Amino acid sequence: MPDLNDACRPRLATGCRWAGNGENRTLLFPEGALRLQQTARAILELCDGERTFGHIVQELRSTYSASDPVKIRQDATAFLERLRNKRLVDF
Amino acid sequence: MLETPLAIIAEITHRCPLHCAYCSNPLQMASPTSELSTRDWEAVFEQSAELGVLHVHLSGGEPLAREDLTQLVNSAHSCGLYTNLITSGIGLSAQRLEVLVKAGLDHIQLSFQDSREDNANWIAGARAHARKLEIAALIRKSGLAFTVNMVVHRQNLSCLDEMIALAESLMPERLEIAHVQYYGWAWKNLDALLPTREQVLTSLETIAAAQKRLAGKMRIDAVVPDYYARFPKACMGGWGRRQLLIDPAGRTLPCHAATVFPGLCFENVRERPLEWIWQESESFQKFRGQDWMPEPCRSCDRRTDDFGGCRCQAFMMTGNASATDPVCSLAPSHNLIEEHLAQVNSKAHNQSSPHQSPEFWIYRPQPK
Repeated sequence: MPDLNDACRPRLATGCRWAGNGENRTLLFPEGALRLQQTARAILELCDGERTFGHIVQELRSTYSASDPVKIRQDATAFLERLRNKRLVDF
Repeated sequence: MLETPLAIIAEITHRCPLHCAYCSNPLQMASPTSELSTRDWEAVFEQSAELGVLHVHLSGGEPLAREDLTQLVNSAHSCGLYTNLITSGIGLSAQRLEVLVKAGLDHIQLSFQDSREDNANWIAGARAHARKLEIAALIRKSGLAFTVNMVVHRQNLSCLDEMIALAESLMPERLEIAHVQYYGWAWKNLDALLPTREQVLTSLETIAAAQKRLAGKMRIDAVVPDYYARFPKACMGGWGRRQLLIDPAGRTLPCHAATVFPGLCFENVRERPLEWIWQESESFQKFRGQDWMPEPCRSCDRRTDDFGGCRCQAFMMTGNASATDPVCSLAPSHNLIEEHLAQVNSKAHNQSSPHQSPEFWIYRPQPK
């Protein structure tokens, strides 16, 4: 599988969708559901298949400007690769 | 505080064109004339969504045997429920699939009995395998989220590599490798289905290697056979805690097999609101929480992880529904499991191979 790079356009995998609003917003998938923490939800909500990963990292850096920009990229990469291995995200 | 159920299993019919010897349907199946109406199910879905349920698993029997399946999918979807169809595929066509997707179906799980056609049809008691391959291609073409479910046991585990390769060729997002659990008709066929220790250990290695090789391409979830585990499974995520099942006639059960308990009354959605059944009914409270637990569960650190295991398995094996699940290595009745394992792992037992005779199985019949 290709590694996640700046040109990738991550999106929810087939069969995954959001339900609910605000704090109760939940990711639904074939055999389960995830209620994500705020940062994780923020990352995943940017994965609309339109934005590139480079663009997503930029947006996260401006939202979380107090955090280490290198770490933001590392964390977002690790998170999305983990979700891809669970077949919740494609890129 | 009592949690809300996350999922309902809607067993919409016990009719099925297959006769799988490992079927977990109860021995006393619901008759076609007793089945809930379309409107009854619509009310169930509405009440479920209000209760906070997220998923509905449309199951059976074969759910495609219900002519109103599209209406049921549409109704569940309209209530905001994630809608999953658990099917043998028999009864599906390109046209019917298209209509189901339009109605809001989120996901489909298609079962296979083996990679080899003759063995698959022998296990299913029906000539279904070739049609399932055609159906799998239709599903993949439709773009619907797709899980292949390979049901494994002693009579097909030697082909696990081939079964994974078959699944890979069908290109689902997900493969579920489900060791048979011994309820209903599978309990009747236990001696033929229980795998050997060697098969189980080899299968774990095969699955781990495939998971590594296919990471990111096809997710593989495997259900470990609990007879070979040290500790019991958290059956249904705990009694009356996460899920509920509604049988074709509307009886509401904490799990697939709960009708084995004599004297326990299961309320019907025709007569009671689902919220009341979940919160107040005797059957859902019976083994909820920890008050019912005997030792060694009561003082065990794992009691909030596995909830004492499966109540039905405890009852079926010991006659006592409140006993610790015998699969637990700490259970006083664990010798019952060890006896089954000693038998299946003995040389004499393994020498009697079946040669695909239909008389080998007690097939699941049609409900009357």
